[in-house]
Amino acid sequence: MRTEVKFSSKRFLMTLTLCACSVILLQNGSLPQRSSFLCRLAAMAAGLLGCFLIFLPSIWLRKRGGDVFSQSLPRAARYAAAAVYTACFFYTAEYFLFPYTDMFCKKYYPDTSPCVIALILLICCVYAALRGANVITRFSVFLFALAMLTNLLMFGGSLSSLRFYSSDLGIRGGFSGFSQSFLYFLTPSFTAVLFACLSGYTRNFRLRQPVIALALTGVKYALVLFFIAFAVGEYALRQEYQTFVLSRVAHFGAYAGIERFYMALSTMSVFMIVSLLLCAMCRSVDRNGSRGFTAAFTAAIFGAHMLAVYRPEVREFFTSPLLLVGLSVLTAAIIPSVMLIFTRRGHNV
Amino acid sequence: MSKKLLLILLIMPLVFSGCKNSHRVETAAVIENVSVERQNGQLCYTFYLLTEEETPNAVSIPADSFQEAQKLARRSYIPNLTLAKLKLLLIHKDVVSEILQTDIEYISTQASFSPVAYVALCDDNALRRVRQNTRAQTMIERQLILCKQQHPQVNIDYLSVFNSYARKNEDGFYLPYITAEGDLRVSERKIEN
Amino acid sequence: MNYSIKEIKARLQAQFSDSADLTVRELTLKSSGEVRAAVFTLEGMVDKEGLAQAALNPLLAYDFGRQTAAQAYCTIRDSVLAASDVTEISETELTAFLTSGFAVLAVDGAPELLAIGAQGYAFRGVSEPESEVVQRGAREGFTEPLRVNMSLIRRRLKSPDLVFEQMTVGKKSRTQLMLCYLQSAASPLLLQKLRDRLRACDLETVLAAGYLAEYLEDPNTSRLFSGVGISERPDTVCGKLTEGRIAVIVDGTPAVLVVPHLFVEEFQGVDDYSNRTYYATLIRLIKYLSFCVSVFLPAVYTALAQFHPEYFPTWILIKTSNSLSKTPLPVTLEVLLITFVYEIMKEAGLRIPKSLGHAVSIVGALVIGESAVTAGIISSSTLMVVATAAICSYVTSPLYPPVTMLRLVFIIIAGVLGLWGIVLASAMVMISLCAKTSLGVPYLSSLSPFSLRTMRDVFVRAGWKRLSRHTIKVQHFAETEER
Repeated sequence: MRTEVKFSSKRFLMTLTLCACSVILLQNGSLPQRSSFLCRLAAMAAGLLGCFLIFLPSIWLRKRGGDVFSQSLPRAARYAAAAVYTACFFYTAEYFLFPYTDMFCKKYYPDTSPCVIALILLICCVYAALRGANVITRFSVFLFALAMLTNLLMFGGSLSSLRFYSSDLGIRGGFSGFSQSFLYFLTPSFTAVLFACLSGYTRNFRLRQPVIALALTGVKYALVLFFIAFAVGEYALRQEYQTFVLSRVAHFGAYAGIERFYMALSTMSVFMIVSLLLCAMCRSVDRNGSRGFTAAFTAAIFGAHMLAVYRPEVREFFTSPLLLVGLSVLTAAIIPSVMLIFTRRGHNV
Repeated sequence: MSKKLLLILLIMPLVFSGCKNSHRVETAAVIENVSVERQNGQLCYTFYLLTEEETPNAVSIPADSFQEAQKLARRSYIPNLTLAKLKLLLIHKDVVSEILQTDIEYISTQASFSPVAYVALCDDNALRRVRQNTRAQTMIERQLILCKQQHPQVNIDYLSVFNSYARKNEDGFYLPYITAEGDLRVSERKIEN
Repeated sequence: MNYSIKEIKARLQAQFSDSADLTVRELTLKSSGEVRAAVFTLEGMVDKEGLAQAALNPLLAYDFGRQTAAQAYCTIRDSVLAASDVTEISETELTAFLTSGFAVLAVDGAPELLAIGAQGYAFRGVSEPESEVVQRGAREGFTEPLRVNMSLIRRRLKSPDLVFEQMTVGKKSRTQLMLCYLQSAASPLLLQKLRDRLRACDLETVLAAGYLAEYLEDPNTSRLFSGVGISERPDTVCGKLTEGRIAVIVDGTPAVLVVPHLFVEEFQGVDDYSNRTYYATLIRLIKYLSFCVSVFLPAVYTALAQFHPEYFPTWILIKTSNSLSKTPLPVTLEVLLITFVYEIMKEAGLRIPKSLGHAVSIVGALVIGESAVTAGIISSSTLMVVATAAICSYVTSPLYPPVTMLRLVFIIIAGVLGLWGIVLASAMVMISLCAKTSLGVPYLSSLSPFSLRTMRDVFVRAGWKRLSRHTIKVQHFAETEER
């Protein structure tokens, strides 16, 4: 395993967040249907601001040279932190894997079993995870290029379908709609958790990196919301995976088929995120990581995925944005904040 | 060792699951045009298979809705049917009020259906023309684009038909209406919600 | 210790097992006492005429008077020999010098041996390399002798900064090689890594530079793409030396190994730097496109025909469907079959005598191409797709082996899993490429880790004024990674 030392936060943040949001957008179905475009936009701005705030404790802790798995912590505290982080990564992996296989089987290959798709994907993820976080972040540069191309095609191809209706520009949705959207747009905060864990040795983690990354994510979100509202319109509300619909609507004259680019992007995004989460899980329990842990976590993810496929209550549990955000806040904000207080006291003494 | 194990693990599901979804190009039935009309008192959906010949290869399926027609087509008539390339949905003027709502409801939830297909109402002559000559379908598409340029309020693709239909605060929407008396002409027809 | 000609002769004959090419010319020098000498050579390795003029004639003509063997040895070394390269050696070095083409002079009872540089074996002259043809630029390519290749580099880089460092590899072949680098540009860390790897090479014989390439690759990285560059052109090698790379010149090979080697270098050619920038940029983009086409086109065709026929434009769909419906094999097998047949024809074309080449091409094109399509064994669309991919693979000819392998693997995966399989396989290949390093420098450097400053010579070729503003050293990528 070569996960150590060279975790490059800059390119990771710039790309992972952008690519990840394409996956998060798969679950656009969880956005309240009655809220208008402007209402969603406001929720998005608030959500991304929340994500930025979640990043701050890790950055401060990093500036002070601290680490969430610091050796100076008591053993019990380290084990507890490792358990919480592993649980968070495990949950995040399921949170992304399940909607992906679900969309895959509903939209692309209706006759396949989601478990087979998950198994094949997970085996590929193990290969990547064994190569280490640094290699995966290098891969993310190509994914970023693919994301740019896909988005360009998706938005460019949807231009001809744009229809502006005055009703979409009003503010509809109410507080419950806003809060639901806000929660949904807080999901990119999972990247902050990865940072809290993986950037243990990074020296180039600066404040401007999450700012730029979140701003770019915001632009992409806004574009997706705009095109879903004005190019796909009411049609999107009928469909479960609205960004997929957007990719289907996009066409250049007689040439359609942008959804295959979208499939490629979402596949690669899930592949990258799950691989990175596997790396992070191994790092949480063992600094050097090991093949045994990677295999064990993969088997656990697959087992949980199978359960989620056959048991609706397990599925609901693994696809709850509230739980994901809660875990992210706990691991990326609360634990590092406690660590900050702990180290400051240590310094004062 | 671990690499070999990974490879075996990867190959096994590939071998067992792969090819299951295969519908090869030589056997696939890619449908570009569908028409709906009433024949002998029964609703009939006609699927036009892609062909190089002058006369279209059409399969007519008596069914009460698009959903039923699609199911029957897959089961009995066209096993490898795919509607992802659908370009034109021609609805006979007499059956539009009967099927539009149910078909729109069904198609709007189907990922396999192309949302950018053209929708048009037509009469008997236009349908006869379409059945006789494959080029008639292309001509209709051209007419529809011309119609859209002259009358921007007309909904020519399925996406705009659905969006207008689903918008509750509007009285109705416009669909192109095509007749085939001598040559193809385009007119508008208002459909109430 | 004083040497005895008899003993040396006996020992050499034993060492070389009385090999027929070991020649000994024994001489009795003109003196009042009896001073005996012997010249040891290996037949065919020495320029006989040169040796006679530089050593034998002066030795036989000189009058040593009453000098003892030791005095005569000093006189020979300092005043008699007319050769430009005379080195004192001990008996342990004797074999190495003999096998390198030196003549070794032993004086009976003298304390040392003298190696006389009189190499004169036959070798091919400097000619234009066939695999790296350029439109503009030098027509000189490396040749087999090490020293000639060194001179080709030295002539282009007339700087004391250029260093040649000699090493020997191969337990039996004792092949000489030179590490060549610019002292101010090459990273000492990379240089040390390279030396260590060459020292660790335990091959018995090294007959070509390619033998060493595998030993220079980083351990635990994918071997699909090569992390070691190879060039037959001295100008290309000189360009790479200025960027901090290290060349390994192996005696007997008309090609030079260059490390670290990056993926983007496969798409850079000497002509790029002579042509207009816009044209060089166009050629670069065509090369990248050709690479993608050669790897993915047959696989994407297979996936579309097998799983997603609706993605073909209508007019292509009808023609492809008609064409494929007349052939007996499934599309995946058909694509694989044509690819294999093409590879067989390519191999035959390479090995066949030139006089038969035309006949074989006609048979290949007419029988396998035209007749197979007419007979309905293969479809014309499949043939066209495979042929296009094959032609594209020659645009970046150094990448031919990995491209061929990847193409086959992708075709099989496309036939089983469709486009999704291609996406997953691409992700795996990319991960393996991202993990690959060449002497510790990431193989995909410039692209990933991304470096905007170096992009001026990746997809585009900026003008010389911009390129010369900062020379980017290859170790820069390794350093950014460590930061």
